[in-house]
This record gives sequence, C-alpha cells and structure tokens, in this order.
Amino acid sequence: MASNQTTYTNLTPAQPLDKKTLNKMVWRSLNLQGSFNYERMQANGWLYGILPGLLAIHGEGTDDLKTSMGHNLEFFNTHPFLVTFVMGIVLSLEQQKADINTIRAVRVAAMGPLGGIGDAIFWFTLVPIAAGICSNMAIAGSIMGPILFLLIFNLVQFAVRFFLMHWSYNLGTKAIELLTANAKEFTRAASMLGVFIVGALTSNYGGTTTVLEIPNGESPIVLQSILDGVLPKMIPLALTLGLFFLMKKKGWTPVACIALLLVLGILGALVGFF
Amino acid sequence: MDFNVLQIILVFVWVFIVAIDQFDFLESLYQPIVSGAVIGAILGDLKTGLIVGGTYQLMTIGNMPVGGAQPPNAVIGGVMAVVFAIASGLDTTAAVGLAVPFALVGQYMVTLLFTVMSPMMSVADKMAEKGDHKGIVRLNWLAMGALGLLFAVVCTIGLIGGAAMGNALQSVFDAVPWLMTGLSAAGGMMRFVGFATLLRIMLSNEHWGIYFAGFALATIIGYIPALSGSALILIAFVGIALALSDFQTNVAIRNAGANGNGGDDDGI
Repeated sequence: MASNQTTYTNLTPAQPLDKKTLNKMVWRSLNLQGSFNYERMQANGWLYGILPGLLAIHGEGTDDLKTSMGHNLEFFNTHPFLVTFVMGIVLSLEQQKADINTIRAVRVAAMGPLGGIGDAIFWFTLVPIAAGICSNMAIAGSIMGPILFLLIFNLVQFAVRFFLMHWSYNLGTKAIELLTANAKEFTRAASMLGVFIVGALTSNYGGTTTVLEIPNGESPIVLQSILDGVLPKMIPLALTLGLFFLMKKKGWTPVACIALLLVLGILGALVGFF
Repeated sequence: MDFNVLQIILVFVWVFIVAIDQFDFLESLYQPIVSGAVIGAILGDLKTGLIVGGTYQLMTIGNMPVGGAQPPNAVIGGVMAVVFAIASGLDTTAAVGLAVPFALVGQYMVTLLFTVMSPMMSVADKMAEKGDHKGIVRLNWLAMGALGLLFAVVCTIGLIGGAAMGNALQSVFDAVPWLMTGLSAAGGMMRFVGFATLLRIMLSNEHWGIYFAGFALATIIGYIPALSGSALILIAFVGIALALSDFQTNVAIRNAGANGNGGDDDGI
C-alpha cells in the first residue's frame, strides 16, 4: 500500500531512459493483464511493465524504488493496446522525480479516457474489418485467412505500442519544464482531474445492480428501478463511499474490504438480492 | 472420439497459450479464425478447422446472425466447436451449441481466478515495500500460468470425455448457483475497493464536489447509449477544463501576489 510520502528522497532527475529500456517496456506491456483481478484490475501487470524503467530511474534496493513500486500498485485500468502512452508519460515524470501526487494524478487522468479510444480503434474497427475479410477466406478453405489476420492485427498493434511509448515519453519530458515552474498549482489541478475521473469511473465501471423484486400481486416492485428513480448508480456510489469510510476512518485494509464484499456477494446471492 | 496422445498434448499446449493470449501476449492468437485453424491442423482436418473457425469468427464480430446462445467465452467456444465438428461431423452451429457448456465453465474459471487474485494484491504490496521487483514479475507470470492451466484442463476433459462432459461439468456449478452468482457480484464490487483506496490518498476535503461532479456527469452520459464508447473521453474534456481553469487561476493569483509585493518593495 502506498505510504503517505509525497516526494522522493532523491530529487535529482535520473538519466533519461534510453531507447533500449523503453523498447523493453513495450514488450513487457503485452502482459499488462497477466495478474488481472477484480480489485485493482491491471495494477500488478502495470507495475511489471514499467519495472525496467523504475529500476533504471531509482536504482536497485533504494527506498525510492519501494515508494514508487508502492504507488504504482494502486488501481489501474486502461486499454491494453494503448497502455504505452500512459507508461511513457508516467516514466517521464518518474525520471524527473515529480511529486508523487502529481504522478498518481496524471496516471489516473490518462488511463480512463484511453479505454474508449482503444475499443473504438481495435474492437469496433480493426477486428471487424480484418476478421471480416479474412474469415471469408478461411471459410473458402484458404490458410491465408488466419495468417493475413494475424499479420494485419499485429502490425497495427505493435506500430501503435512502439509509437505511443516513445512519443509520450518525449512529450512528458518536454512538458515537465513548464510544470516544475508551477509545481504546486499543477499537482493541485492534476489531483482535481484525478478525483473527477475516479468519480466518473465509480459510475462508468460500477455495474452492481440488484435483481430483488418484492411480490405485489400483478405488478411486483422492482427494487432497482426504485433506486434508479432516486439516484442512478446509487449502489456503486454507496459502496465506494462506504469502503472509503471503512479504510480512512476505521483503518480497514483492502483485504478486509474484499472479505466483506465476498460475504456480501454470497449472502446477497442467497437471499436473492443479486 | 479417438485422438492420440500427441494430439491431446498439442491441444493442451495450444489451449494453454490461447487462454493467456485472450488477455495478454498478442491478443489475437485466441481469435477463432486463428485458433480454429490450429486446432484443425492438430486434429488432422485443417479444412474443417478453417471453416468452423471462420464461421465462428463472423458470429463473434456480429457480421452473421446467430441463433441460440453464444458461448460466453470465445476461446473455449472456438476450440471446442472445432473439436466437435471434426469428431462428430457436425455443422458449425450444432458444434458451437455443444461447446456452450465448456465455454460457460471457462467463464467460471476466469471469475474464480480474478476473485482469488484480488487478495493477492496485498501480497504484491508487501513485495513493493521490500522492493522485491522479481516477486512482482513472478506473480504476473504465475497468474498467467494458472489461467492457461485451468483452460487447458477444461478443454482436455472435453477432448477425452466428449460433449457429455460439458453438461457434467456445468451441472457441478449449477448445483450451487448462489456460489457463482455471489462470486460474480462480489467480483463486480471489488473495484470499489480500488476506487476507495485511490480516493483515500488523492481526495482532499475541498475536492469532494469534484468527485460528485465526475460521478454525475458519467451517470448522465451513461444514459445515452450512443455515447457508450466515447463517454470517458467526453468526461475527460470537462475534467481537463476544470483542472486547467483551476491551474491558471492559482498561478495568476500567485503571480499577482508576487508582483504586488515586489511593487511595494520597489515603491519604498
């Protein structure tokens, strides 16, 4: 879990990352979802991906490496094919030893919107077109169908991954000079954006609904539609705020919260709430 | 269904790879068009593999009207459809139908793994505290291996035991419906722990309004189906505008303050 530290101990900017390290992280970005889980989604895969960069920046065995690993294990979810964009920009901030709150805020603000862009490019455009043409070749019995599909898809995928990594790393490096002049104001604004995005994710990713119906003769009362009438997405909001309260005020650990949710989920399923 | 040991081993290995590939690696090997051809080649009938894989691919991208239930997991759905088409000479639709129970079981496996991996994040936290970067790498590969293994076992059972095994497997899970429903519901709620953790660190008391504003905007846009793809981009635009305005205002205030003091000093 992230410590309450907000700055790195060694504030001297590290050597800029070389192309080899950046490319290594592009390859690692392929396994972003390796340890996907319901709590923090891609967090561990994200950290796995940027580790070569973090090691080069903070150095093996340093306290700053531990701090950096800690805050890079927080909730993370973005589009797997566009993740190198977030990697590049976060690594440029890490390399300049930016404020940890700034890095966190930029990471959260960048990861959210990319999901929609990536789906639009890959799943709604590239795959239907490529697979549509190639499937008909395959149905006609041609082995070129699958081969061509793999070629097209991966050519685009790798071009996007490599381009975004190098482009966004350079972008971040250039932007940092502007930002350090107004570091305090920037961190505040970036945190605002981050909080705004987390608020949006609470609703956008929050799919928890209830199927409970109260028998009422001909027209049963559907609890979810009553809740939606009061405030849509009320359950996701209430759960997030409840867990926030438990962690912040009662000192609950994430594991305790997960255990609580497992109990809630199974009890809820038994009584017909879910 | 008679397949030789080598074929069973090769299918096991291929399913192990594509199970991981559905979330990692190239994220394209698992597509039925590719996977179907490979399974066909392994089982000695490339042509059927190509046809079933291609047809199933068109079903999954929605270019082809498909009757009945679609398997919830395209990886297992594609593999088992080819297996049944080759073994029983069924047409694609019938073969896909037989694959449904296996695909369902595969989906349960994913739910279980993603649930089990959630508390593992605390183990990862401990590794981070110690700077154990090798542990993070190991954890990532371990979880990938577990996913591959679970899927490979399900498909091998189907390969050896035939279509009947699918129903048998599914009935095991159907016997405890509350368990899978409960786990899915709990899984869907666990992301709120991730959000709450972020808020605990990021949220200062003065920014509560911003949190609710983001929630409100996302909820409103969520009711417009046409914007489901672009919702978060639009939300980011508004968020960036808010943050930028705050940034510029505060920089201006600080500069004004600095200039004001400087002016006084100069005056004296």
